[in-house]
Order: sequence, then structure tokens, then C-alpha cells
Amino acid sequence: MTAVRDEPLAPEPGVDSAPVITVRGVRKYFPIREGVLQKVVGHVRAVDGVSFEIPRGETLGLVGESGCGKTTLGRCIAGLTDATDGGIYFRLAESDRLFLDEMDAVPEAERTLQHQARIEAIDLAHRIDRMKGDSWRSYRRNCQFVFQDAFSSLNPRQLVKDIVGRPLKVYKEASGPELTDRVVDLLQSVGMGRQHLYRYPHEFSGGQRQRISIARALALEPEFIVLDEPTSALDVSVQSQILNLLHELQQERGLTYLFITHDLGVVRLMSDDIVVMYLGEVMERATASELFAAPRHPYTEALLAANPDLLEGDEEAEMRGLEGTVPDPARPPQGCRFHTRCPAAIPQCGWEVDDAVAWLADNSTTLDELSGVERASEFDAAVRFRDSDAAAEAKALLEGPEVSAPMQGALLALSASGAELRIQFTEVDPVELEDVGEGHLTSCILHTSRSTHL
Amino acid sequence: MVDSTAPGTTLAPAVSGPLAVRLRRAGELSREVLRNPTTFLGLIIIVGLITMAALAPVLTEPNTPDAYQMPRDWGAINEPPGTPGHIFGTTSTGGDVFYGVVWGARTSLRMSMIVVGFTVVFGTAMGSIAGFVGGRVDEIIMRIVDVLLAIPELIFALAIAAVLGPSFANIIFALSVVFWVKYARIIRGQIIHVKQNDYVDSARVVGDSKFNIYRKDVLPNSVTPVVVQATLDMGGIVLVGATLSFIGLAEAGLAEWGVLVSEGQAGISSGRWWASTIPGAMVFLWALAFNLLGDGLRDVLDPRTGGR
Amino acid sequence: MTAAAQLPAADRTTALVASVEDLKVHFETKAGVLHAVDGVSFDIADGETVGLVGETGCGKSVTARSFLRLIPTPPGKYAGGSIKFWSKEARANGSDPVDLLSVPTSDILDIRGNRIAMIFQDPGKALNPALAIREQVAEVFYQHRSDDLLAEWNGNPPSVIRRAAGQRSGKLEWVAMKFPPLRSQARRLRKRVDDLVGEALAETQIPNPRKIMASYPHELSGGMKQRVMIAQALACNPDLLIADEPTTALDVTIQARILELIRELQHAHQTSVLYISHDLSLVRRICDRIAVMYAGRIAEIGTTNEIFHEPRHPYTRGLLAAVPSFAHERGKLAAIEGNVPELISPPASCRFHTRCEYATEICRRIDPVLDGHGIGRSVACHGYVSPEELGVAAADIPRLDRSPA
Repeated sequence: MTAVRDEPLAPEPGVDSAPVITVRGVRKYFPIREGVLQKVVGHVRAVDGVSFEIPRGETLGLVGESGCGKTTLGRCIAGLTDATDGGIYFRLAESDRLFLDEMDAVPEAERTLQHQARIEAIDLAHRIDRMKGDSWRSYRRNCQFVFQDAFSSLNPRQLVKDIVGRPLKVYKEASGPELTDRVVDLLQSVGMGRQHLYRYPHEFSGGQRQRISIARALALEPEFIVLDEPTSALDVSVQSQILNLLHELQQERGLTYLFITHDLGVVRLMSDDIVVMYLGEVMERATASELFAAPRHPYTEALLAANPDLLEGDEEAEMRGLEGTVPDPARPPQGCRFHTRCPAAIPQCGWEVDDAVAWLADNSTTLDELSGVERASEFDAAVRFRDSDAAAEAKALLEGPEVSAPMQGALLALSASGAELRIQFTEVDPVELEDVGEGHLTSCILHTSRSTHL
Repeated sequence: MVDSTAPGTTLAPAVSGPLAVRLRRAGELSREVLRNPTTFLGLIIIVGLITMAALAPVLTEPNTPDAYQMPRDWGAINEPPGTPGHIFGTTSTGGDVFYGVVWGARTSLRMSMIVVGFTVVFGTAMGSIAGFVGGRVDEIIMRIVDVLLAIPELIFALAIAAVLGPSFANIIFALSVVFWVKYARIIRGQIIHVKQNDYVDSARVVGDSKFNIYRKDVLPNSVTPVVVQATLDMGGIVLVGATLSFIGLAEAGLAEWGVLVSEGQAGISSGRWWASTIPGAMVFLWALAFNLLGDGLRDVLDPRTGGR
Repeated sequence: MTAAAQLPAADRTTALVASVEDLKVHFETKAGVLHAVDGVSFDIADGETVGLVGETGCGKSVTARSFLRLIPTPPGKYAGGSIKFWSKEARANGSDPVDLLSVPTSDILDIRGNRIAMIFQDPGKALNPALAIREQVAEVFYQHRSDDLLAEWNGNPPSVIRRAAGQRSGKLEWVAMKFPPLRSQARRLRKRVDDLVGEALAETQIPNPRKIMASYPHELSGGMKQRVMIAQALACNPDLLIADEPTTALDVTIQARILELIRELQHAHQTSVLYISHDLSLVRRICDRIAVMYAGRIAEIGTTNEIFHEPRHPYTRGLLAAVPSFAHERGKLAAIEGNVPELISPPASCRFHTRCEYATEICRRIDPVLDGHGIGRSVACHGYVSPEELGVAAADIPRLDRSPA
């Protein structure tokens, strides 16, 4: 490839072993505004407390269905939007990470000045939303992004040479004939060539456009690339070309990837580690082989069952899907967020008043008579109807045989007095990710230490 | 790796320079525009009118001291068309209608170019700031635009011109105040739409400056409807300008189509149709030509109308 | 096309729902005539699910849309061939099939949604955002099942009501139905429609169909919208359901549910299905037979088992190998290099030869013919033809392993 460039930031000691990206408790909330005054009435919790590291030269697969927050998280990591809370760190050394973990346990008021100074120093040097000047520039050129839609990610008014050469121009790395040569080198490294220099994006097929996108991402010789569903818009035969190319590039250049996708086959093929997300939270995290061989979360199992391997099993093998729809991310379920659709749910999963109300809405007409809900908590509320018959009917229904056993098991009390129905569920703590052996993390209480108390 | 350009794909052969590529594209576009016969007709008329304006001093003897004032030949009043020396006839004040038509083309061209030039630049700037910066700035600019849009164009221009007094320069000023609003609105809508494209985010990931992103990614992909609107307005402005001068907001005696129509209207009832009909036809021709061209451009440039 | 592997003629007419023969659909473009579908032939037997698989631009959607003549003409043009269709009645009394490409427009309108129904990739676009779900599903009943609406009427329904059931009411009649004595009758009709719509929705396992009936498309999730589309499509017990990538826009877990649903309802309604998809793992789960399309042609037809376990055409083999799976090592995914050829004035050669590793001289020279398109195995590749038949030397025949492990 091209000549060695001067590294703008001298690598610190220990940097080689440090993970390229460390994500610590990242949240991203989008405000929901309503009315003329655009008052904030709630938040969509797109990403809600996600942590992981991506070691150098490895690929982390981020899997989940649409709306699970994987793309938002990818955009936060690439610095395209700022996280609402938590931090994304670049080349955070092990010792610093341990220190930050330690500090998380200490309330802010009890931290000494020394502690605060060290946190500040770490933030300024590594945390991407606090970086300034040279460190930010260094991150900017070391972290690149490849978008899903190769049609919208290339400026239709620019020639390929301008598109691929743009990063080099921005950082004043090359100009004139040298720029052209560098661009040709880049195009060749993605399987294209000099003949494509002076063409517009619309003259290319989807696969070629994605190659151009990749060439642009490689221009600054970054360490890390966020790949946001880079092949999901492509045909199978082209997809395999691009996946092979990405793998080759990783081998040649020691790249680190964050591979965002909904396709389990692709993520298994491309990733070392896999993080499974649902409704903004991490459900499970494990190495690729471990996750596919022994999934420890019903959601992962459901994903695997819904998308069986092409060559495995026979044609008649059942393809199982999931009931229901993804809940509203502005009001995520209590306990485990997946419990509303989980085929393995038990009473301790976090059943709440909303679940009972949603069930009534789907299975009866009693809610047509609803006049109000008064909540003491998410687990305890008085549902008021317009007449006592509706309240009695709703009570009978909720006690009836049609309600799922786990939800009924979680019901603490159900009492109708007049037109009011009080619904009480057993309160449940939020679930947390737990290591269940060799770095295999899951949040499902059937598999974590909580399972012994069930 | 294998180059995935299969043989048989219709790509232009071999390497060519960036300039050649851009020229080729411009050529393709213009050929496509001109394939439509009505667009072609519009362009022919425009070329004719501009040629006439350019050759005005050759076609007629310029009046002194100010060529834009109608020469008065008090010896030839109300001559019908075809009179030697006065091919289109004369007005009731001895003005040569042909002179008015020829120099009126100059006046119109001058007016529409000044007004369109200013409003496109100013409107695009305001709309760009609103759309690109967003937030409070957007709020303020767009409220101003809303207020201006709530007042009918013609009446607003009329009011301004009336306050400033009758002069052609004031008409140009009044039209400029009125017409920029449209462009601000068009470009803002476009920019908000274009900003959502991934290539804008790509440029951010690369680390390019905001101004460069605006200059290279956002603006070039937003201007198309402005070009179309500007073409249409080249005609529309002459129409409004002629209306204003017709009702007497320009200096009397100006070689301007609206003024001539106004001067000649009294004679229509007594059969002297030429003094107002011929300049009126010029206004019509001018507006028609630019509308034809504008529509043709829109069909080719703006995919939303289903042209492509 | 010669049909070598055909069933006996008697069997064919009783067993078939549709038979596509040498279908050609061309498009006028600026660059020339695009041969989007160029000689496609296949049969759909009663009650079976046929998968039409291929990549973007292979002509699978155009083929499917041709069944209902949904291709806009111009720029499109049905340049040849026929699509024969046997409705249930035609099969029962042994009458001749209709050719969907040549019947009058009024007939095709009656067949659409009634005898042949279609569900689309994007249910969000196929549903009218301004109408409640009830109205959209009810439309089908008014259009095609107005007799059923009046079936349980005691006594003879008045002509006004009869016209209302067929949505042929005039303005005056419409007003008259707001007042007695017609009001109660109109209400009865409305209730009957509601019941039928409710039933149709309930059949697709929509929870609380009454609530869904009153909602608008934007209030429903993608999976729910697709269920409404399916309810709409199956309301008239069609003989053939055409599903054009019905799950592509949905999440995998929802997708599996929809697929299951289509399979269940297909059995319940005795409907044949033509399932269009680019996703091999999906068609494998749902289809009895699969036709693999490439560049406007069918490359290979066979039972699902045959296609997946003994793929014959090099393209099918490449396609199967390109899907990431457990068997692959990272970076070693088999790729079909190159791109699909332009379909503007294609030369007489195998469409796949530019990307085929086995291609020989004759592949560039002679167009391979699909060896029969009946209910059987056929493949369009010179590798399976005897040299005598083509009149070339044995050495010129592409040498592929005819029975891969």
C-alpha cells in the first residue's frame, strides 16, 4: 500500500494490549416531544445501559432485530451522536478501566480530588465525547463507518475519485497526482481499479458501491471500522464477495470491526464475540462458537430457531417464531425486557400491570369501558372502569384459564371493588448481565445466580 | 480479488479525465432537456429575445441622452404598423413601438436578471442557514418567511413601490424584497431532506468541516429545484414588473413593455390596437418561453414529478 | 420449449392450477429493449407451493406480476408466451383454461383478488393509509363475494340492499339506507360484513380482531399489517396465492410466524402458492418445488429436496454455497464472482457463462434449453446434455460433477 505516515498521537504504553473500544454503561434516550410548546413527555430508550469491549484485531458482532438499538449504538460509537449517559472509550488501558469500575461504586460526593483528577484525565484522553484537538482528530481518523445503504452513502454529485480521496484531502495527506495514485491503490485493494476513478456512483451496482464505501473507510488506515449491516441490502452472491473482502482486509491490516447485523448466519461467520441486543439492552454475550452451540437466553434461542442454518436439519424442521410484538421502547417492560414474548417465561420475570392491561386489550373488549389507571408503582395499580360489570369481567378474565400461567403466577392480588380493579404483581428487581462461565454473559434469570432462588 | 465489472455492462470505456466526464454528463442532460419539443421551443424564443436585447443599438438608433427613454417623434402620432421608419407603428405621444419592444427586452432582461440574481443568492443563503443550522435560527428565519408569504406577492410589491415612489429601480427593489422568500423555503426543505442522507454522515465520519459538508454534499444536492424555480421566475418577474409599471409605478416614458401597454390602452377603443397589443404580446412571449423551459428542466432534473 | 419430463396429458389438466409457457416480458428503456423475463416456463399443481428464487433483477417479480397483468404497459410488453390458469370450476367441469395474458381486462379484474390473490413485500405500501382496516378487508367481500353477504338473508333481500352488497348503490339509495325502513336492513348487511371481516382476520391469528378492524394501518406493526394483507388475500378462497417476498421487510422472529401462518392457511383453504423470494433458507421451509431464476430465465427446477441436496445448475450450486452457514470458515465463503449480465439485447448464449467456472465454448455460442418444465426435474445447462444432441464434440461439453456429494 502506501508509505508509512507519521502517527499523530504517539501510542501510550500498554496501548497495544488495550481494547480498541470500551463501551461502559452507554445510554441513548431520544426525547418524545408533544404539543405546541414541544414539551418533553417521555424518552425513547434506544440504548439502555450497554457495556462491552472490542479487543484489537477482533470482530464484535452486534445482533438484534429492528428497533433494538444496535444502529444507534453504532452511531454513538462512531461519534455521530453523543450518548445520553455512560462513556465510549478509545484505547482504554486495563488499569484505567479497573479504576473507573472501582469509581462507579463510589458515590460522586465521596470521591477524593485525586480520584476526580484521574477520572478527568482518563476522560480527556480516551472518552470520545470529551476528547479535544489532537486526540479527537486521532479518533476521527481511526474510527470509520460503513453504512448499510450504499446508495445513500455516496454523494451522487461526486466522482469516485473525489469520494474515496476525500478523507486524504481533509487531512491534507495527498493532493494532485499523488492523491490519484493513493485512490487507485485503495480501489485496487477493494477489487476495483483505475478505470473507475472518474465515474459517478449511479453507474455502479450495489456491490461495487459498497466496495467504494469500504475503500473510503480504508483511506485513513483506521484501526477500527463500524460496519452497519454492510451486506443486508445485497444479493447473496454479492454479499459473499463483500464478506470475503472484509475478512481479507482485516487479516492484511489488523483491523478491528464492530459488525452490526440482524443476520445470524453473517454474524456467526464474521465475529469473534457476539452481543445480542433486545429493546436497548444486552440479553447475552459470548464467543461466536459458544453462543451458537449453547445459547443461554431464550431470546437468542428464539432468533436461532427462527432462522435455522441453511444446510442443517431437513425441510420439514419447524421454524419457530415469536408471539406478539416488540414493546414500546419508551415504556420498556420491567424485569427482563423480553418476558412479554418469552416462550420460557416464569412468574419471576417481571410481570407488571402493563402486561395485564395489554392482555385485556388483546383478548377482550373490557378496556372499551376503561376510564383511568392509577399507579402506585409499575407492579401495583388501580384500573378504573365505567361500570362495575366491566371490572368484574376483567377480573374474571385475568383469573381465567386463558391467561398465561407465568403471568398468573406473578399476580399477588386481584381485587374488584365497584368499578375499580386493583391489580398487584410481585415486585421484581431489574435483571443484570452475569458471567455464567468463561466470559459467557446472560441476563436471563433461568441461567444466572438468581436461578437458585426461583 | 476479482474485479466485479462483468463484460457487457454499459460503462463508458477506459479512463477519461474528470473534466471530460463532467462535460459528457452536462451534454447528456442538455440533450435530454432539449428532446422535449416544447422545451426546445421555449429555448428558441428565449435565445431570440436575448439576441434582440443584445442587438438593440444595432436594430434602432439609441435615444440620447438616455437610451432607455422612448424617443418622441411628434410628427408621427398614431401611425399604424407598417409605416416606413415605424414598422410597428407609433403611440399617441409619437413613441416608436418597435423601439419600445427592442429596448423593452433589454429592460426586462435587466430587471429579471437583477431580481433573480439577488433573490436566488439571498434566499438560498437564508434558507441554507435555516435548514443547515436548524434549531432557533431556523425558527426565526422561517417565521419571517411565513409572514412574508402570507401577504400576496403583487400587493406587497405594489405597497413597497408605492411608498418609495414611482421609479423602475424601486420596482426592482420591491420585487427583490418579495421574491427571495420562495427560494429560502425551497432550499430549506431540500436541505433538511438531503441532510438525512448517509453521505452527509459519511463526510462527518471522515472529519470534514461543517462548511465543506455544506458546500460539497448538501448544497449541490439541494439546488435543483432552485434552478427550476429561478427559470420560471425569470418569466414571472417580468410579468409582475410589467404589471407594476402598467399601473404607473415606473417612470413615464420608459422603454418598458408594461409602460407601453399602459400608454397605448386608451387607443384600443378607437381601433389603435398596436400600441398596447404588441408590447403585451412581448410580455406574454417572454413569460411563456421561460415557463416552457422551466417545466422542461423540472421534468429532467426533479425526479419527483416523474420525469425520470 | 419441448417438455421431455411432462406428465401424461390427462394428469396435467386435472392436476394443474397454472401453467406458464415461454413467458416473455420486455421493457422499453432508453438503452434498448430489456428482456426482463425471457422464455420462462413452469407449472403449478393443485395445492402445491412453488418457490421462485433468484437475485435482484432476475425477473422473478415480473413473472409473478404477469399472472395478474400488473406490469405497466408501456414501458412493459408481454412479448410472448402464455399463462394458463384453471380455476376450481374449470377443473371441476373439465373446461379449458384461460390464458391470463389474453383474456379481456374485465375478466382479469374479476380474477384479481378473487381467483388469484397477491401479497406484497411492503404491507405498509399496499394498504391504504386513509382507510380503517375494516374497510380495506370489507372491500374484498363487496367486490367478489356479494352473494355470500346476502346468503343468510331470510327472504329475498331488497334490490337496494343487493346493490349495496355489490357496492353499486347510487347516492339516493345511500341516503335512503340511513332511514327506515331500509335502515335496519342496511345495518344487518353491515353486521354481516363485520362478521366476515372479523372471521377473516381471526383466521390469521390476529389478537382481538374487532379492535384491529377499527384501527388504521399506521397503528399496526409490520407483522400485523402483513397478517391483514393475508386475511384480505385469502378472504375469497383464491385458487392461487402469489406471495412476493412477503416477509423480507419483517424481523426474523416475526417472519417465521408469518411463514407458518401462510402454510397453515394454505392447507385450510386448499390454495396453491407461488412464493417469490431471494432467501433460500425461507423457500426451503415452505416450498414443495423450487424454480431458480437467473437473468430472466429459469436455470433449474426441482423438488425442494433435489434443489438443496443435488443442485445441478452451477448457479444453484454457487448460490447455495454463498449463504453463510456453519459449514463455512471465515473468509472462505464461496462467492460467485462478477455481476449479472445486462439484459438489453442479450446474445444467444448461456446467461451464466460469464460467471460460470465450467463454461466452455458452446456455452458462449449456444443457448441452453430447460429440458422440460412439467412436474419434474429440469435444468438449463449444457453440462447435462449429450454431445450428439448439441452436435458438438464430447470435449466441448462443460464438465461438471453431475452428482455432487
